[in-house]
Amino acid sequence: MLSCKSLLSQTINKKRKKNKSKNKNKNSSTRFSKKHNLVSKKQNYEEEEEDCEEGFNFKTSAAPSHTHGVQPLGNLYINPGSINSRNTGLGNLQTLTDELVLDILGLLGGTHLGVLATVSKSFYVFTNHEPLWRNLVLENMNAGFLYNGSWKSTYVAACYPSFDVSSVDVSGLRVRDFYSDYLFQSWLCANLEMKPEWLQRDNIIRRKGISVEDFVLNFEEPNKPVLLEGCLDNWVALQNWDRDYLLQLCGDVQFAVGPVDMKLQEYFRYADQVMEERPLYLFDPKFAEKVPKLGSEYEVPVYFREDLFGVLGNERPDYRWIIMGPAGSGSSFHIDPNSTSAWNAVIRGSKKWILFPPDVVPPGVHPSPDGAEVACPVSIIEWFMNFYGATKNWEKKPIECICKAGEVIFVPNGWWHLVINLEESIAITQNFVSRDFFWTIASGIGSMQNLDHGVNNSKGTTLKMNVVDNIFC
Amino acid sequence: MASSSTSVVVSNKEKENKNTKKVTLKSSDGESFEVDESVAMESQTIKHIIEDGCANNEIPLPNVTSGILSRVIEYCKKHKEAAGESEPSVTSYTSNSTTNPLTEWDTEFVKVDQNTLFDLILAANYLDIKGLLDLTCKTVADMMKGKTPQEIRETFHIKNDYTPEEEAEVRKENQWAFE
Repeated sequence: MLSCKSLLSQTINKKRKKNKSKNKNKNSSTRFSKKHNLVSKKQNYEEEEEDCEEGFNFKTSAAPSHTHGVQPLGNLYINPGSINSRNTGLGNLQTLTDELVLDILGLLGGTHLGVLATVSKSFYVFTNHEPLWRNLVLENMNAGFLYNGSWKSTYVAACYPSFDVSSVDVSGLRVRDFYSDYLFQSWLCANLEMKPEWLQRDNIIRRKGISVEDFVLNFEEPNKPVLLEGCLDNWVALQNWDRDYLLQLCGDVQFAVGPVDMKLQEYFRYADQVMEERPLYLFDPKFAEKVPKLGSEYEVPVYFREDLFGVLGNERPDYRWIIMGPAGSGSSFHIDPNSTSAWNAVIRGSKKWILFPPDVVPPGVHPSPDGAEVACPVSIIEWFMNFYGATKNWEKKPIECICKAGEVIFVPNGWWHLVINLEESIAITQNFVSRDFFWTIASGIGSMQNLDHGVNNSKGTTLKMNVVDNIFC
Repeated sequence: MASSSTSVVVSNKEKENKNTKKVTLKSSDGESFEVDESVAMESQTIKHIIEDGCANNEIPLPNVTSGILSRVIEYCKKHKEAAGESEPSVTSYTSNSTTNPLTEWDTEFVKVDQNTLFDLILAANYLDIKGLLDLTCKTVADMMKGKTPQEIRETFHIKNDYTPEEEAEVRKENQWAFE
């Protein structure tokens, strides 16, 4: 059984009428107009908004992570006479921005942060900022960790085992009169649900039971995305792969999770408890080598079997990954490296996809001039909050869909894509070299872009030589 | 070499002109600073302004006072000299003196009062000068280490806004850090 934590509002599956008044009295929602005018969730202002959007909802099935009472800066301006305890508690440091204060704290070890927490309420809020502790855990515990409700608690429990972390009140101190956009936004993004209108557009072409020739002619050659239904029906994985099965099969096995390795059971423990803006993603390119049974319970869908990377044999770079993640995990906008195409099959759960063609850079994304690096400074949820709306008025709209269990999406080479898990999901993805690309590199035209896939794939630059050597030697 | 052909003389002159291309930076309080373009480009912010062709006259820097700007320029000059002529210095700050020959100079550079130090952080952030930002942030971080909470408050003029009960609670929560 999978955890039921989900980014899907409970009403998403019903046909909703656009009725603003439905959410007016919902205590847990926050009205959102402009970034610097966020309203605390305790106040229910009636704001006239351009799009008449409804308020945000918070993730429903787990308690929100703790904010210690941080409010957005806008609230300070509507509370005349209020003092910002952020400033009084920072002393001379108050002229620095929140990000700079956190940069400085990021240079300190756990002990220093613990001592600083007792200096003032402002330092309490800053030193309890979870990303600081996450970095300490990931840097110091790359052999795995037991997630303990929060990153700070995880770190303290591991490094100071004689201290009883359970004696600490989980919610901590509540601080009044602390106003900070940066810290509030960070908390907001960690706890938000996906808004229904972000999930409404589903304009991808869907096909079921088409022939390979049809696929090659209409999608692979013209480089168009498509969602294929019904081609995983014979996958054993579709029947078997749930939590219980996987734990029994390989609960003890270490899998690649971002910068660290973790046992699968430790990963599930983390996924069940975590509430953060950028949850860690299990993304392992050696899953079939580690657990051959996993490799045997799926097969490459018929459309993708002519994979010319196969000629490389063992020299082939990482090409297939098992992907597992809780709601909110995913990949922000990127193009797959080495100009490969990809297919992504959902075995459990569901994923929201947004794709832009190669010549259309998504809003909020900044590729370097040579295309080798991509800067997308915001998290996935913040991208939706700040940039998704811009695409409504574009002529070239992105291709969007929700890919559910049993469905496969074809991501053509060079296309920008963003993926977010709407609930805990398990999927398999493979890159492959379609015949188009083969002729491109064979004739020496193609350039090897070594773009960051969000996971390390450092073998890209030697690829071209290997392919050519293997085919033409 | 005894040869003194015209073409050699011309190309040397061109090289000189290229090396001493200057740019003028204007502080928030109206003071102008003329610096070598290559030194100014230690700042990624200024580099982008120049590359975008927007640096025709002076480059106004409304967020930086003259006092701070002159120090920033001093830092950039020193680090540019140390790194060599062609590329902007890409070495990030390190306190290991075997890999960073400027460690002593950097240490002296940041011996300033707190307000100046924080203004340098803000300027390095705004101007996007990684080495200076790393150096100044690390200096502040070092000021926080090895001190009791009261000493930290005194160092940075921080008001203790905890009630005695709250302070006891927070101390209990973080007792592990004091042992």
